[in-house]
Amino acid sequence: MVRQRCVRSMLVGWVLVAVCCSSGYARWLDLGDVKVRQEPTELGGPKTIIEYDLKDTGITPALPAYVFLRYSKDFGDTWQLMPTDYLQGNGFGIVEKPGPKEVIWWGLGQTGVADLGQVEVRARAMAMARVPGGQFIMKSLPGAGRDEAKRRQPNSAPPLFYMARYETTLAMYADYLNEVGGEGAGWNRRMSREDRCGIAQNSDHTYRVVEGRENYPVTYVSWYDAMGFLQWCGLRLPTEAEWEKAVRGGLYLDGDATKQQPNPLPERQFPWGNEAPDANGVYRCNFDGEADGFSHTAPVGSFAEFAGPYAICDLAGNVAEWTLDWYSTSYHAGLDGFRVVRGGSWMAVPVACDAVTGATQLPLKETSIMGFRGVIGVIGPIGPMGPIGPITK
Amino acid sequence: MSPLNRRDFMKTSVGAAAALAALAPARSYGANDKIVIGVMGLGGRGTYLAQKFAERPETEIAYLCDPNTRRFSRARNAVEEEQDRSPKLVQDFRRILDDKNVDVFINATPDHWHGLGTIMACQAGKDVYVEKPLAHNIWEGRKMVEAARKYKRVVQVGMQSRSAPYVHKAKEYIKSGKLGDVYLVRVYNMMQHPKQADTPDGPVPDGFDYDLWCGPAAKLPYNPSRRWLNQWEYSCGPIAGDAVHQFDLARFLTDDIPYPDAVSQTGGIRSLKDGRDAPDTQMAIFEYGPLTMTMDATLWTPYMKKIPAGIRDSDQFPKWPFCSTKVEILGTEGFMYFGRHGGGWELYDGDGDLVHSEYGRQADKEHQDNFMECVRTRKHPTSDVEIGHLSVLPFHIANISYRVGNRRLQFDAATETFTNCDEANQYLKRQYRPGWVVPETV
Repeated sequence: MVRQRCVRSMLVGWVLVAVCCSSGYARWLDLGDVKVRQEPTELGGPKTIIEYDLKDTGITPALPAYVFLRYSKDFGDTWQLMPTDYLQGNGFGIVEKPGPKEVIWWGLGQTGVADLGQVEVRARAMAMARVPGGQFIMKSLPGAGRDEAKRRQPNSAPPLFYMARYETTLAMYADYLNEVGGEGAGWNRRMSREDRCGIAQNSDHTYRVVEGRENYPVTYVSWYDAMGFLQWCGLRLPTEAEWEKAVRGGLYLDGDATKQQPNPLPERQFPWGNEAPDANGVYRCNFDGEADGFSHTAPVGSFAEFAGPYAICDLAGNVAEWTLDWYSTSYHAGLDGFRVVRGGSWMAVPVACDAVTGATQLPLKETSIMGFRGVIGVIGPIGPMGPIGPITK
Repeated sequence: MSPLNRRDFMKTSVGAAAALAALAPARSYGANDKIVIGVMGLGGRGTYLAQKFAERPETEIAYLCDPNTRRFSRARNAVEEEQDRSPKLVQDFRRILDDKNVDVFINATPDHWHGLGTIMACQAGKDVYVEKPLAHNIWEGRKMVEAARKYKRVVQVGMQSRSAPYVHKAKEYIKSGKLGDVYLVRVYNMMQHPKQADTPDGPVPDGFDYDLWCGPAAKLPYNPSRRWLNQWEYSCGPIAGDAVHQFDLARFLTDDIPYPDAVSQTGGIRSLKDGRDAPDTQMAIFEYGPLTMTMDATLWTPYMKKIPAGIRDSDQFPKWPFCSTKVEILGTEGFMYFGRHGGGWELYDGDGDLVHSEYGRQADKEHQDNFMECVRTRKHPTSDVEIGHLSVLPFHIANISYRVGNRRLQFDAATETFTNCDEANQYLKRQYRPGWVVPETV
């Protein structure tokens, strides 16, 4: 039974034995051994220090890691996101370079735990891309060019945000299910289909990824499932504007604050430029049919060579991606709003994988052609939930 | 006794014809034969119908058709989750009609394609499920009825409220005389619609056969913010398109009175001044002899809400004063609130006391069941094409009244023309683009 590759932390003197990390699940970044220890302070009670080594030399300010920590006070039965307001150090949130990292958690009082030996910590990291703040040319109107209700004004100058480089994978989602899934919230039977998804439920309500499928994008997730996973991480869905900017790039790729790098193709039709996805016998994304090498979904990053201006993979094709934006149409006034889905999928015609086509879907809908990825922005009410959280260096 | 029972119905009344019509069997359906379906139009409704029919064990979707290829994947995905067979994806609906193995044609296009699509499907020997409103104009609706009759096709119109048990209970209740004599029925279609965005005309997106999409209608310059629903070229307007459900219910509850003698209306574009053709305000009076039907229709009233999803299929009533889609039936002895979408009905007596009520449920499934049953038995379906024609016809008249300056128009049922306004008669029929002309003889 693959539950977690972690060892319960135990208090040995002042040092806690190595705690878990979810290394081994594809597309979480490898954080090596995560150590947790305590240090006394003069007046404030002990502080908890979580240390790990981010070895991946590919971590840069443009392609940072997003690290989030979760803890359990009840021997792994329930888990909470470690609130970043109580954290200091260089090892949480957006982490811009490799090397030894430290997270200082002044939170013993707030956790309500008398004995830190009861606490387990899990640290996870995902690969992100930095999208600097500034103007971009937004060509789409929400809903495939039909702006039904304009509830959310498209913002063609999103401020700085960070987007996951890859669509959320089965491995990541199964990890989430195993931590919080229990009786099936977030999972449905269709996810066990191996050709279109690949997460099976064990008889004890734990979850396993079908072997070999770890790096495939998760599908059959509703908008609520996607939000559930991302809130678990401390992330959120991208707005439509953020999604489209990730494909086209800002007018300046380094952002409006510096304006040193003009975008050679600010109105590009696809992340890689204007060539059709199958132009000249070269396949640039996963769309309908097998000629591109994949009859259904492809492992994330299979077309990394054709990623967008910020090196974000699979915005075109593979799975269509839920966004934060929604509106209600004239026909369906009174029903919960449709959500906007972008990017085309493994079932889409090539043109539908472009920068401006939008589709709409009811938020409860779970299909084999929809998945998602997360973003984090700066402090400020970007999403409907209000402030997102700090970015640390 | 209700004055309705004394009405002398026209020969075209479906009430007389339904039981006697014998429709030619398309083919003999064996117990294990799947009925093969092609779907034309993959917007929200078309995708929904494709999925629903794919769910049925006795049917399979063989074709999904839309001139816009971007619409393929959502519909195909929905269908493939429910059936083994992978549907063919086509832009041109004639591929469906040419295929002799296709039995049923579902037409979920914008209004301007309902007529020709259905007529050609009947000519090709397919039974048809066509969405409401039946047709773009009165003449075209009559042609659709003629085609269905001539080729002996089952043509069901997507007015699914008619198949709901709670609706039938209300009709029986009214017929039993408990409301007394009914002289007034008020139909509501009040809600909030969005303004169209103001964007310039643009290039047609790749992968979209816009010429085919326009079909019989004029090919206006492509504009991504233009909603077909708000343009006379493609639609009979957002009010008619929606209110036809409630009006059909009103007609059903009052024994399917066929034709109004006269229609007056006032209204125009008051709030949604965004370049649309169709009015956002229509207050209409339909004179059916001693019975008067009225319509209160607005598209700028946000406090008027369609019945929320949670109420539709549960034992609850909507808030009647703010219900977008209600019908009020007024008799000499009682008053009935009636809600579309499974909203149920409540009856009040002469003292204003609630004396009876029934909860409701939506009837999409029952309506599809009825259609499939008629495909096998060759009976007229619940919302037969002629019923669809008679239910939308009053709205066509109201729209025409608007277009000739809000005049009271008198209508002759036998010829389906106006007797007191020649200008109005030119709106009975549309101009057709070459190649997509509905013929006089279908």
